[in-house]
Amino acid sequence: MTYRAQFEKELEELKLELIKMGDEVIANIKDGLKSFLTMDGELAQLTIKKDKIVNEFEKTIEKKCLQIILKEQPVAKDLRLITAVLKMITDLERIGDHAADISKMTIFMQENTKPFFVKEMPLMTEASQKMIKKALDSFVTMNLELANEVIKDDDEVDDYFVQVKKIVAAAIRSNEIDADYALYLMMVAKYLERISDHAVNIGEWVVFSILGEHKHDVIF
Amino acid sequence: MKCLVEGAFSIEKLTLFYGNKLALSNINIDINKKQVTALIGPSGCGKSTFLRTLNRMNDLIPNCKVDGSICYAGENIYDEQSDVIDLRRRIGMVFQKPNPFPMSIYENVAYGLKCQGIKDKTVLQQAVKKALVDAALYEEVKDRLKESALSLSGGQQQRLCIARAIAMSPDVILMDEPTSALDPIATAKIEELINDLKKDYTIIIVTHNMQQALRISDYTAFFLMGEIIEYGPTGELFSHPKNPKTEDYITGRFG
Repeated sequence: MTYRAQFEKELEELKLELIKMGDEVIANIKDGLKSFLTMDGELAQLTIKKDKIVNEFEKTIEKKCLQIILKEQPVAKDLRLITAVLKMITDLERIGDHAADISKMTIFMQENTKPFFVKEMPLMTEASQKMIKKALDSFVTMNLELANEVIKDDDEVDDYFVQVKKIVAAAIRSNEIDADYALYLMMVAKYLERISDHAVNIGEWVVFSILGEHKHDVIF
Repeated sequence: MKCLVEGAFSIEKLTLFYGNKLALSNINIDINKKQVTALIGPSGCGKSTFLRTLNRMNDLIPNCKVDGSICYAGENIYDEQSDVIDLRRRIGMVFQKPNPFPMSIYENVAYGLKCQGIKDKTVLQQAVKKALVDAALYEEVKDRLKESALSLSGGQQQRLCIARAIAMSPDVILMDEPTSALDPIATAKIEELINDLKKDYTIIIVTHNMQQALRISDYTAFFLMGEIIEYGPTGELFSHPKNPKTEDYITGRFG
């Protein structure tokens, strides 16, 4: 039995909000990349607009965390959980920014008539989306193993980045790719690579929330 | 039995019964010198009982039986030849409710010294002033030392009790919920005072206020049903306690 039913309820709501924010961010990455691969300007505009929802989520969750700290003066696992949420929403918000950045590349590129398909790009997108999802799942279920997996999964996305770079460089050499397109494509790849780094950060905060250690450092 | 750490407590296999009721069960801890140690736990868990074993206040309770040893300054305070009067001079105590004597502010602080046989007025005056200064009360009462201690506010009375304790130049001050009857400002003053006092004294404090334990103590012991469940550096105990029972208690999910 618990004596802090209201507090427990607030913590559950906080987790739920975080998941909703995560879903929003994952959808934006997907749409951002889709807009780039299909050169869909409309979808790009919509995705950029939807980033505002992500920003709103960050504000709302931040406020809730601060209110809980003020009211409940949490300690131990509760304090670790709320601290982790406060840090994770910053990473999620940055991921959202990158999804919007990818969409902006679409808008810049619309003039271009000669897109160049790199099959690693959707794979890279999928891999980074999976990392975010896994990171958030590990948080909700407090699964240390899963959180550590996210940290390792980053290597896969990094590998994709190197592959994409090689393919684009070869295409430039053989004049198969438009110069502007090559640059924008590399920027999109870089954004995806950054997105996976933020997913790693989220995973590291989940580890903190479980063990009280952040990157093997004891914080308190 | 000799202890290695002089001035601090080394407690071994301490068990205490009130009649047939086991109040403390196999307590084994060392308490650090010139640090603040907080004792936390739900009501009836034995923390006040434990505090009182440290200057043998439990001796006064009928049917109280103590086993094990408490080494302090190189000797077991429960030895038959131990001098209880001297022990209580070296280990002072401050209680939950301020309990000044119904006499003047000055006399409250001078009382213990007079009992010790000090008669020299200048010596007494200096000692009283020093104790009041150290207890962060002197500035507030210096012009009315002859007034009744009962005319002081609750917070002032509690600091007077601390002054009365430190006038005896103890090594250790035991505090049993010293701020639970005080408002936040008086509480803050006492907490600041505790921080200052630990330069010179070993302080052991019972508190129900988790945030207070976090603010003022270096070490914390969590008591539950007469046992110490967890004992360690305060920051660690409150951020990632090792025992789930500690976690449940400090996060308010105990039940």
